[in-house]
Amino acid sequence: MSILINADSRIMVQGITGRRGRFHSLQMLKSGSQIVGGTSPGRGGEWCFEGRLPIFDTVRECVEATNADVSVIFVPPHATADAILESIDNGIKTIISITGSIPLQDMMIVKSALKNSDSILVGPNSPGVLVPGIANAGIFPSDITLQGNVGVVSRSGTLCYEVLDTLKQSGIGVSTAVGIGDDPIIGIDFLTCLELFEFDPHTDKIVMIGGPGGDNELKAASYISENVTKPVIAYVVGERFATSLLRPFFSKSGMLSLDSLGKKTSGLVEAGVLIADKLSEIPTLINK
Amino acid sequence: MKLQEYQAKSILREAGIPLPNSALATNAVQVKRVAAEIGYPVVLKAQTLEPGRGRAGGVRIVQNEDEIENVSNGIFKLVLNHRPIHSILVEKAFTFSKEYYLAITSDLDAGTPVLRLSEAGGATFLEPESFRDALVVEKHIDINYGLKDYQIRELMASLRINPIFWKQFQQIARKIYAVYRQFDATLVEINSLVESTQDQLFALDAKISIDNQSIFRQGSFCESFESANFSWEERQALKFDVDYQSFPGDIGCMVNGMGLAYLTLDQLLSLNALPSAMIDIHGGATSTSISSALEMLLVDTRSKVVVINIFGGMTRCDEVAQGILQTLEANQPKKPIFIRLEGTNGDSGLESLFNNENLTFFNTTAALVNAAVAWQRGDEQ
Repeated sequence: MSILINADSRIMVQGITGRRGRFHSLQMLKSGSQIVGGTSPGRGGEWCFEGRLPIFDTVRECVEATNADVSVIFVPPHATADAILESIDNGIKTIISITGSIPLQDMMIVKSALKNSDSILVGPNSPGVLVPGIANAGIFPSDITLQGNVGVVSRSGTLCYEVLDTLKQSGIGVSTAVGIGDDPIIGIDFLTCLELFEFDPHTDKIVMIGGPGGDNELKAASYISENVTKPVIAYVVGERFATSLLRPFFSKSGMLSLDSLGKKTSGLVEAGVLIADKLSEIPTLINK
Repeated sequence: MKLQEYQAKSILREAGIPLPNSALATNAVQVKRVAAEIGYPVVLKAQTLEPGRGRAGGVRIVQNEDEIENVSNGIFKLVLNHRPIHSILVEKAFTFSKEYYLAITSDLDAGTPVLRLSEAGGATFLEPESFRDALVVEKHIDINYGLKDYQIRELMASLRINPIFWKQFQQIARKIYAVYRQFDATLVEINSLVESTQDQLFALDAKISIDNQSIFRQGSFCESFESANFSWEERQALKFDVDYQSFPGDIGCMVNGMGLAYLTLDQLLSLNALPSAMIDIHGGATSTSISSALEMLLVDTRSKVVVINIFGGMTRCDEVAQGILQTLEANQPKKPIFIRLEGTNGDSGLESLFNNENLTFFNTTAALVNAAVAWQRGDEQ
C-alpha cells in the first residue's frame, strides 16, 4: 500500500517538546498516524498532549517501551547528526530528518555510519513521508492529498506540496509522497525511491520532481531506462537557468554543481520519462 | 563563505604549510613599504572574491621600486563585477619548475571529502577546457577514518611524482585535510603547489570555502571574515537564519524552501523578468526572521514590488502573517506587497492579513508572479 512507512509503522518523534516538534507531532496525531512517543532529554517520564504520548530521555528507552521503528527528527541543526546516529544505533528502520541546514561534515559522518547499518535516512530538510489517509510522518500540510495509485518523490518540500495540491484539484490520488530533502547531502535519493515504487503493488505511476544541483536526476534516468516498468512523469524546475542570466549567481555560491543543468530533461526524455514543462501539465500527463 | 586569498593563506601558514613571504596592503604607500621589507621581485595580487582576477590585470609581477606605485595604483583602480579592490597582497616572487593542483573538496552526492591531485596546476587549471584535458586523480575519504597516507601515496604513484617530494606532499595533504576538518571547510585548494629550485614545495595560491551551515560553531574566527566578505544583507541573513541571494532584477522575493525559490525564479524567467533578491526563510521560520526578511526587501531601492510566496509545511502561515504585520506596523511600505499564503494554518494566517491595504492576495505561484511582473512593468511606463 505504500513505501517506507505503512499503517503498522510505529512512529516516534525526536525533539517532541520543541516549538516545531510539539506543533507537528500534534498535527500527525490528529491525522490519525500511529505516533507512539518521543524524546526530549531531561524530560523523560513526562507525558504530552494531555497524557496521550510518553516522553523519554533517550531513543533507547523509547524503542524498548514502544517498539518504535520510524523516527521523525525535529531537533535543532547542530544536534541533528547526533539524533540520527542515536536512531541508527538503536535500530530504527526509517529515520526522517525534518530539520535541515545540517553542517556538511556532520552529514558526512552520518553517511559513513549509514553505510554500515540497515537504517534508511530520508532527508535532512525533508517534509517527511505521507501515506494519504494512513500515516503522515513529517510536516506535510493536512488535506492536500487524496488516496490513490500515484507515487510522488521530490527533492523539495514546498514543490512537493505544490504538486500534491495540483493532483488533488484534478482528482488524482497518491499512494505515497516522499520528500528526499533539500540539503546538499541527503540520505536516500531518487533512485532508491523509484526502486521502492517499482515494487510497490499499490503504485501504478510515478511522479518525480527534480531541480538544479548534482546529477541525481540523471542517475535516476539511467536507472529508469533499465529497471522501471511503470510510467514516470517528471518535472524539473530550473532547467532554463542554464541559459539565463542567473547562471553566474548560482555558480558563485560554489555549492551547486551546475554541470548537469539543462541536461536533466533531455536525459530523462531519453529514458522514456514524460516531462511536464509546468506543474499544471502533470495531471494531463498522468491521465495520458 | 568563500575566504579571500590573504585570509586563506593566513590559515594555511598557521597550519604549517610552506608559503612565500607576504603581507596585506590597503594603499599604494603601504604596498611600497611592504615590498621593500619583503624584497624585490614581488607579486601584487588584488584581493577579491570575484572570478577573473588574473585576466583583468589584478596579478602583476614587479621587478623594482621604480614601477611599484604605478602598478599598485592600476590595481586599486580595477573594478571586478562592480566590486572595487580594497587591498593588495604583496608576495615574494618565486622561480619554480612545476605546478601541481592539490585540494580537499566535497563530493555532495557521495557525502564524503575528496583528495584531488593533478600535475597540471596553474591559473588555467579550473577553466573548463583545460580541466577536462588535465590528468586529475582523486580519492574519496571516509570522514570517520580520516585521510590515510596510503591514499596520498596511491595518487602520487599513479601520477609518477618524483619520490623525493613524497614526504612533503604527504605532510601538506595531511595539513590541508586538518584545516578542512577544523574550519568546517567545503574546499581547501592549493593551486598551484610548486617545486622551488631547492626542491621545496610552496603553496602559491590558496582557496578556502567555509560551510555556511557550520559558521555558527566557528566562532570569532569567522566573525572577523564575515564583515570583510559579506554584504550587509548577507550578514543580516546569517543573523536571522535565512538565505539571501542578490540578483540584477527589480522584484524582491521571499519564499519558504529552495524548491519554491526555483519555481518562483522559473516563473519570473518565463516572463523575461528577474528578481532583485531572493530570500528563502526555510521551513519553520519564526515571525522575527520573517519580519527582518521583509524589512530587507522593503528598504531595497532596486525593487518596486515585493512578492511573498509561501506554501507552509513546517512553516506556519499564522507565524508568517505575524511577521508581516510586525513589519507593517513598524513602517509604512512605499511599495505594494503581493502575497500567496497556503499550507499549514493557512486560513488563520490569511484571516489576520485580509484587511491590510498594503497586501494583494493570490492563489497560485503563477498568478502571483504574473501580477507582480505586470504591475512592475505598468509602473515603469
